[in-house]
Amino acid sequence: MIDCTEAVRRMWAYLGHELDAKPVAEFEFHLETCQRCCGELEFSRHLREVVAEGEGATPVPGELRWRIETLLAKADEANRGTA
Amino acid sequence: MASVVETRTPDLTGPIARAGDGPADRRSFADVAREHLDRLYGFCVRLTNDPSDADDLVQETLLRGMRAYDDLRDASRAKGWLFAIATNASRDLFRARGRQVPTVPYDTIDAEGDEFSLFQTIAIEDPFPYSDELHLDFLRLFRDDDVRAVFGSITPVFRLPLILTVVHGFSCKEAAAILEVPLGTLLSRLHRGRKQLERGLWDYAVTNALVTTTDEDE
Repeated sequence: MIDCTEAVRRMWAYLGHELDAKPVAEFEFHLETCQRCCGELEFSRHLREVVAEGEGATPVPGELRWRIETLLAKADEANRGTA
Repeated sequence: MASVVETRTPDLTGPIARAGDGPADRRSFADVAREHLDRLYGFCVRLTNDPSDADDLVQETLLRGMRAYDDLRDASRAKGWLFAIATNASRDLFRARGRQVPTVPYDTIDAEGDEFSLFQTIAIEDPFPYSDELHLDFLRLFRDDDVRAVFGSITPVFRLPLILTVVHGFSCKEAAAILEVPLGTLLSRLHRGRKQLERGLWDYAVTNALVTTTDEDE
């Protein structure tokens, strides 16, 4: 049996599917009797989504993309040369 | 671009590099790099906190990756492999430019910050008294720029595990390999990063008058 402090500690790992079977079972058992932790779990799920959306892929600026494409074209050329 | 001083190469014998197929039946480095480029660039921006350094870092990462690609055994793990190269290259870049390599600031360990609960704080402060979705309404206050600003305020060593796991979807084990730290260290830093994020979101909302606190009401 785990308390709210431990449940909150495990929450993000649970959402990331990082917990083993036993900690998951303990965590889910706690949720069955704790409305507060159910609310915080839902909140944590949304918080992670907000973070993921705000911090993900960043389009490469035009000039840098051109330089990188030049670099990768050379890699492609070298690759074809050795194929 | 001048190559930064290279003090070491990524550990290509580690779990990211060794776990799969041979090099013959896979895509070219250029194809792999193009697939992950925007995410890799985003990671480089967060690593350096400087657009100009991020430009250099992503190019340096690709140069190193190009040289080492034949040693990568499992091309399905190329994303993690590229991120590991970027992490190592960033350390070299910082050293070459005389910038401090981010380390854990033990003297700033803050027990109060570690206990902070955003969920509880919102419930107590109740910034939207007529809301049926109090906590979600709080999150709805934040635009992408706001989230980035808060993220930028998190101590780098605690921010990176968050970025790797929550943003880029790496497992904790993969993130630990990328950052070259034991799994326990990664988990501890992830927790600290989460707590700094929670505290940062609340402080940002108060500082920018997105919410009114009970102190201000009195």
